[in-house]
Amino acid sequence: MRLSDIMSHAGLSIYAEIAMVIFMAVFVGILIRTFRPSKAKEIEALGRLPLEDGTPTTKPPGGTR
Amino acid sequence: MNAPLDSFRYDDAIVRKFLFATFVWGLVGMLVGLIIALQLAVPSLNAAEWLTFGRLRPLHTNAVIFAFAGNAFFCGAYYSTQRLLKARMFSDFLSNFHFWGWQLIIVAAALTLPLGFTQAKEYAELEWPIDIAIAVVWVVFAVNFFGTIARRRERHLYVAIWFYIASIVTVAILHIFNNLSVPVGALKSYSIYAGAQDAFMQWWYGHNAVAFFLTTPFLGLMYYFMPKAAERPVFSYRLSIVHFWTLVFMYIWAGPHHLHYTALPEWASTLGMVFSVMLLMPSWGGMVNGLLTLRGAWHKVVEDPILKFFVVAITAYGMATFEGPMLSIKSVNGLAHYTDWIIAHVHTGALGWNGFLTFGMIYWLLPRLFQTPLYSKKLAETHFWFGTFGMIFYAAAIYSAGLTQGLMWRAFDVTGRLQFPDFIETTMKLMPMYWMRAVGGTLYIVGMVLFGINIFKTWAARPKQYDQPVMQAPPLPRKFPEPATDSQPAGVWARFTGAAWHRRWEGLPLTFTVWTVVAVVVASLFEILPTFLIRSNIPTIASVKPYTPLELAGRDLYIREGCFNCHSQMIRPFRHETERYGDYSKPGESVYDHPFLWGSRRIGPDLAREGGKYPDLWHVRHMQEPKAITAHSIMPPYPKMLTNKLDFEGLQKRVDAMAMLGVPYGDAVHRAPQMAREQAKTLADGIVAQGGPAGLEDKEIVAMVAYLQRLGHDIKTTGAVTSASLAPAPRGGN
Repeated sequence: MRLSDIMSHAGLSIYAEIAMVIFMAVFVGILIRTFRPSKAKEIEALGRLPLEDGTPTTKPPGGTR
Repeated sequence: MNAPLDSFRYDDAIVRKFLFATFVWGLVGMLVGLIIALQLAVPSLNAAEWLTFGRLRPLHTNAVIFAFAGNAFFCGAYYSTQRLLKARMFSDFLSNFHFWGWQLIIVAAALTLPLGFTQAKEYAELEWPIDIAIAVVWVVFAVNFFGTIARRRERHLYVAIWFYIASIVTVAILHIFNNLSVPVGALKSYSIYAGAQDAFMQWWYGHNAVAFFLTTPFLGLMYYFMPKAAERPVFSYRLSIVHFWTLVFMYIWAGPHHLHYTALPEWASTLGMVFSVMLLMPSWGGMVNGLLTLRGAWHKVVEDPILKFFVVAITAYGMATFEGPMLSIKSVNGLAHYTDWIIAHVHTGALGWNGFLTFGMIYWLLPRLFQTPLYSKKLAETHFWFGTFGMIFYAAAIYSAGLTQGLMWRAFDVTGRLQFPDFIETTMKLMPMYWMRAVGGTLYIVGMVLFGINIFKTWAARPKQYDQPVMQAPPLPRKFPEPATDSQPAGVWARFTGAAWHRRWEGLPLTFTVWTVVAVVVASLFEILPTFLIRSNIPTIASVKPYTPLELAGRDLYIREGCFNCHSQMIRPFRHETERYGDYSKPGESVYDHPFLWGSRRIGPDLAREGGKYPDLWHVRHMQEPKAITAHSIMPPYPKMLTNKLDFEGLQKRVDAMAMLGVPYGDAVHRAPQMAREQAKTLADGIVAQGGPAGLEDKEIVAMVAYLQRLGHDIKTTGAVTSASLAPAPRGGN
């Protein structure tokens, strides 16, 4: 008996659907988290990072930007 | 409150090195592209064996992907990573090791590919020692990159860094798993996978090489350099986050769309199609995000060649990522697959997206890296127009070539017979388009030369000593400080929506990387493993036997000459294909094919049922001078095969390697050279009897003919497909 025999009879096809649901759930989670209106300003401010580089920063570390 | 500031300098010397390499290899890769384009229109340009289309085509693809686009990615990544992380690269030694290692690999590729050393897997042609070198250099790059992240002075990782991380880890996984092989010599190996499984692995790799070598790294560059050039932040940072995660979640699944209607299990094909179509959404989200970054700055595009390059690059990204999902729909793919349409699609992406983004980025970098104004903005502008018109000529010609040939292949006349039964008719029709493509390619290369002049002249005007400004930034505290305003939230939901955890999470690159890997690996396993482990996916055929040692030698010649670049061995279940080539290909037919040779393009006809169609002498004459058989053939001649001696003794090692991979070779593991000699003698005698030249029994040509005559032979003997449960799966199958 080889691995492929065991796997063939293990009835694994359902796992593909489970994986699909998990993927979708995680993705929807990311979507919700990213587009919360309450955090819009905070997240968008991070988009300015490339424009700030090269300049010495004097902001306190770890603070919200 | 104010922590003492760290002082540091950025390493721009390494960026300059990658910049030069980008230009030099880009020019080389494009020139090779022009040569092979011309070879299709003027076959006599296949002047020497190491200059034939079959050997140069992989050189072109590898040069533009890994040398041009690769160096461009490294150039931009080394520049932007240091600045986004407010830290010098982790180690100058590793940076330079990465640079020189990568260039050495390119040189090795440029030497071995024309000499015929290839694994026969598209974009993974390089043989095993070079593959190992690639893995080492890539790990060095990764260590250097993650080391820089560890020493960063900016808590948040900007989205460009996410794209770089995803690219680095995914390319490593793809490269290693697709190149697993058994070496049978210094520059020869056999893939450990066979047939449908090898095809699945290869296109999982091939598709994701496009995704994680040509798309995500360049999206990272776009998200950094576009805001820089437009002098405003990206249109929506939230959209870029979603763009990233959607691509990471979806891209990995899309590979099977390269194998529609082939002997791949249909569920895999459908899964690939669905995910490919879904990819349209994030891709266009990203395109819109890039273009709208120019909001309120469109007037600048008129005067600024850099923005022009970026706008066309992002538009090309949009076009290619619209077309990709469309081509993934099975019925569209049925027409487009194996034709020039795919070549046109790829070049929209490569010339437009990768090329123009690179040009825009380098024009932006030149004055900053060489600390002197750009030599000529006007020249850059001219470059832009040459490139744009080059692309238009190229795309228009090759799209119509693809469509024309696809429609001709499937045309039936009123009596229900193939309207163009001679394959060569469909080839000759393409000649004007091939010429027009060469014109387009030339224009693009002229633009590239102007680019080179601008780079050289700007470099020549550099200061005697580069100014290396000292940057200052506070070091990151070891622990993430909780912002005072965030009181500890109560319930689960509140904790989820609370900002503190995600800031902390995004500040943890290791966790972030691990989750990216999980998304990629889980998707890969769920899609690929069933084909390997669940038998019903590859029904075996009792009459299919391993190649004889001589046929195996012929197969290796077929690989050496890169025949698979122009000939498929995969007949799709369409009436026009079965009518033209014979019964459609079954998965069980290629169970001993290490590697698979299904091909992806038909510049010449399919060969899956070639065996027995013509006498042996026909093949000898055809290989010697194709035009002697088919007047307008564009195939290169291989007269050397009639004089080159076949290495019979070396065959034992190859047969043994195959046997080790589970191919049931039986007696041949003891006496492969002897068996090959016997078969060669019989075959050579037959050729003499047919009126052909004598003395071919120890020449390469007999092996080649033996292999060609074997193709499709086994299934013709009985044609019986046994059910999965009745016949044992080949041992190589698990």
